[in-house]
Amino acid sequence: MSTLLVAEDVAVFSSHLLVHPASLTLQAGRPFTILGETGSGKSLLAQAIMGTLPRGLRAEGRVTVGDQRLDLASGQGHRALWGRTLGVLPQEPWLALDPTMRARKQVEEGYRLVRGLPAVQSRIRASADLAALGLGNAGDKLPSELSGGMAQRVAFIAARAGGARIVIADEPTKGLDVFRRDEVIALLLKEIEDGGGLLTITHDLELARQMGGDIAVVLEGQIIEQGPAADVLGAPRHDYTKRLIAADPSAWPERNAAPKRSAGVKPVLTAAGLAKTRGGQLLFENRDLTVLPGEIVGITGPSGCGKSTFGDILLDLVTPDAGTVTRAEGVARVRFQKLYQDPPAAFPQKVPIRRALNDLVRLHGLDGSRIAPLLERLRLSPGLLDRLPTQVSGGELQRFALLRVLLLDPVFLFADEPTSRLDLITQQETVELLAEVARERNCAVLIVSHDAELIRKMSDRQIAFGSPPDAAALAA
Amino acid sequence: MSNHFIPPVVRTVILPRLAQAVMVALLVGVLTFILVRSLPGDMAYRIAAGRYGYDMVDTAAADAVRRELGLEQPALTALGSWLWDILRLDFGNSLISGAPVIKEIVHQFGATVELSLAAVLLSLLIGPPLGVLAGLRPGGWLDRVLLVVSSGLRSLPAFVLGLLLIILLAREFGWFPAAGHGSASNLALPALTLALGLAAVSARVARDAMLGVAQSPYYAFGRTKGLSERQVFARHGMRNVAVPIVTYLGVQFVYLIEGVVVVESLFAWPGIGHALVHAIFARDVPMIQGTALVMGLMFVVLNTGVDLACRWLDPRVARA
Amino acid sequence: MAADLSLPLVAERSFWSTQRIIGVALLAAIVAFAFVTPFVFDGSPTRQSLRNVLGAPTVLEPLGYDHLGRSMLARMSAALRLSLGLAFLSVITAAVPGIALGILAAWKGGWTDRLISLVADAFLALPGLLLVLMFIAIVQDAPWALYVGISLVLWIEYFRLTRSITRALVLSPAVQASQLLGFGPLYIVRRHIWPEIAPLVLTVGAFGAASAIAAIAALSFVSVGVRPPTPELGLMMTELLPYYHEAPHALLQPVVAVFLLILSLNLIAGSNSR
Repeated sequence: MSTLLVAEDVAVFSSHLLVHPASLTLQAGRPFTILGETGSGKSLLAQAIMGTLPRGLRAEGRVTVGDQRLDLASGQGHRALWGRTLGVLPQEPWLALDPTMRARKQVEEGYRLVRGLPAVQSRIRASADLAALGLGNAGDKLPSELSGGMAQRVAFIAARAGGARIVIADEPTKGLDVFRRDEVIALLLKEIEDGGGLLTITHDLELARQMGGDIAVVLEGQIIEQGPAADVLGAPRHDYTKRLIAADPSAWPERNAAPKRSAGVKPVLTAAGLAKTRGGQLLFENRDLTVLPGEIVGITGPSGCGKSTFGDILLDLVTPDAGTVTRAEGVARVRFQKLYQDPPAAFPQKVPIRRALNDLVRLHGLDGSRIAPLLERLRLSPGLLDRLPTQVSGGELQRFALLRVLLLDPVFLFADEPTSRLDLITQQETVELLAEVARERNCAVLIVSHDAELIRKMSDRQIAFGSPPDAAALAA
Repeated sequence: MSNHFIPPVVRTVILPRLAQAVMVALLVGVLTFILVRSLPGDMAYRIAAGRYGYDMVDTAAADAVRRELGLEQPALTALGSWLWDILRLDFGNSLISGAPVIKEIVHQFGATVELSLAAVLLSLLIGPPLGVLAGLRPGGWLDRVLLVVSSGLRSLPAFVLGLLLIILLAREFGWFPAAGHGSASNLALPALTLALGLAAVSARVARDAMLGVAQSPYYAFGRTKGLSERQVFARHGMRNVAVPIVTYLGVQFVYLIEGVVVVESLFAWPGIGHALVHAIFARDVPMIQGTALVMGLMFVVLNTGVDLACRWLDPRVARA
Repeated sequence: MAADLSLPLVAERSFWSTQRIIGVALLAAIVAFAFVTPFVFDGSPTRQSLRNVLGAPTVLEPLGYDHLGRSMLARMSAALRLSLGLAFLSVITAAVPGIALGILAAWKGGWTDRLISLVADAFLALPGLLLVLMFIAIVQDAPWALYVGISLVLWIEYFRLTRSITRALVLSPAVQASQLLGFGPLYIVRRHIWPEIAPLVLTVGAFGAASAIAAIAALSFVSVGVRPPTPELGLMMTELLPYYHEAPHALLQPVVAVFLLILSLNLIAGSNSR
């Protein structure tokens, strides 16, 4: 096994220290993964190694690639390595492809301009690369005509066309669902098989686990733990790593037996024979659902399968093509509520949270003194009330969204991917709180997530979308 | 359904622009119709006097004018025949000179096209290259100088800019003639006036576009793919910067048309804009109608050109 | 934490940028000059005195005299009052229906939207100045024609801006959430739509005022706008151009005034928009 890249004492500064000196070694044929939350500095560390730090930041330390030794403080020498030795797989491949250039040309230029091959040969090799990854027909397409997964593969080929043996992938699975993610992992691992180097930066524990090889865990700009992935993830030593692993839905404790569905209780909501088509494609048909007070129903399935649309139909936000939704009689409409995927997008953007809550209290003549105990129950600091929605963290804002709907004593809450934008640890806290509070108040919850494990651990009953309706519905 | 039979360029460019042309004709037609109807009672008499001289005017001459303008018909019928005349490009005769409007306009149109083309080409030579250079080094000396100069130029309406150029280049230095038409030196000042105003904006557009492109993920990806700075600019910079510049030209043509009206008058350039202002001053309805229509249609044609250039430059548009 | 706390400050600073503050100060100075002068200096903008023709500035007449011996100070302040007043009136007249129609079209969609958009497109088919010119030809009284014509051109920008912002907002989760919580349309306009539009209304308004001032001056300059002897900036340039060699100070006054006025409004509008 040969060493491809050695980074020694790499540190990043703005006016102050952002990433503490860190060292790592990349071996041929052995993946290296840097794992950390958003804002932990893991991307900065990778950018310092690649030489792509944004303006205003500077790096220190040394990087050795083959027989080339780079002093990061000088900020020079990377350019000659890019494309030829170091290939960078961009964070959002859709944005990293030139929107006005066809896919094949973006691959071709690596062969032609970086490797210096003749035009005809470059074209042939580019076409062959595309065909090898199932993109044979995509060569003449523009990036806007590619799906996210296709763009990812085109970017991957383009990054390596110059001949780079070392690939650095920054958050390669950002925004992808489980199915897409596994595809990307397979693509990256294939690269390793024939002796290439792979440095992956991710927040995704599952990705790190599947990659294997070596791993470094980053917290607040520092590598807190480093070693073979199996050791670090199997027997974490640092407290943060332990919490991170425990926060993964697969590690959550199994739920105790669901509360009994006592007969004779009136359902809060009944749906019968729901069907919906979008863009000429049938999302689902003949869907029935009965939700009893206080029960937690989970829906899972790949993105685009219509699971969110289903929830919106229950709330009368979307009209179904067929079927009916019946709500419990005598219950006010505002007691059927929704939690959104992107918390900042669910609040008026330019209004402080306190004012938004007070507006609600005034509109429905509620008791304003209920806000204080709810804040405490949801572990929110009262000082946050005077901030704008964009000035609190995603986890906090999702809890404010929960607080807002709790003021209306909901009987039914549709939570649409409520934690997909949150980090693992925050996700666990939020989901646990949601479940606890719903039980305390006997509020039924319909939770939608692409994470089957999360749904399994959290709900009383599950519904799977994306497969034929008859095989999908199953009661727990 | 029928979309299959219509080529996309016709559906997305030609048809909407044709609709705009019809809109222009309707707007000009209706407004001039209102104008002719709101003329005071003795207008026909006065027009006749203007045309034949006061001694020669009699009731018959005034009636002839009244008939020519359709003043005695009921309103709706009159509007119909009024618009029909426009459709046939029959604008009648100038109330002042008595010559057919179409004949006068054809001559003036040539002068206006000459001035407009010179101005646009000159502005494209000045604005976008400077803007791109500034955008490549944001905060550099060129960027800062360009910001000050273009802010200053944008605060000068076209006629004030022209006035200052006359004072400076014609009166103080005597480099160019201040007014007239015929030689290339006559063209210099009016074209420069319009070009500076246009370039002040297109330089900013180019600068912002270049900055945006240079900071884009695809530009960075081009670099890390291994392309040199020159190669990244040629392959991923130029086309992406050109698209917003050309698109914004459509907006700039408003400035151009408005500028033509005023600048032609300032420099006594014998074009359509000058003629329009004259016609308004003299309330020469057929001339107002003809000149306004031609200027409006010129605006439509220029915009059609921009649309077509965008389709050629930006493959995304062609696919849409 | 430190980064979080500084956020509101940054947000405020970006609205009150240095250049916007300079623009407001400059505009305030011009407005003060235009409206305070008549109270301080006793002079008529139309009274002629032949012995003062093209007279240089003196202590009593700090701006000198024009070619008919009229007080430039009185004429300049009167001309600025006319431009500022007409521009302000046009902007207000355009903004209110423009914003209201924009919200209406985006919210209702369908035929309401199509109809209003068609009207807006019709006005956009012709460059604004041509439209104003036609109005001048129809309406005898020039200031009134300018006011109506300019307002008719300016409302479209408000309409298009409001419509596009509202259209995105109406479909947003934030508005959906508010509707689920029981809030009505008025609340959504007040808390969701207006806060997003308000800063842009200022920008569009400043640009609108600048183009109104430029149009008034341009049309008067080519003798189809305001008629003599009313003092107007563009008209004054036409009148004083022949006397440039004898009295450059007189000609430069309206030139500088137009420049500063439009500059101040452009500065207020901000550099990120054109």
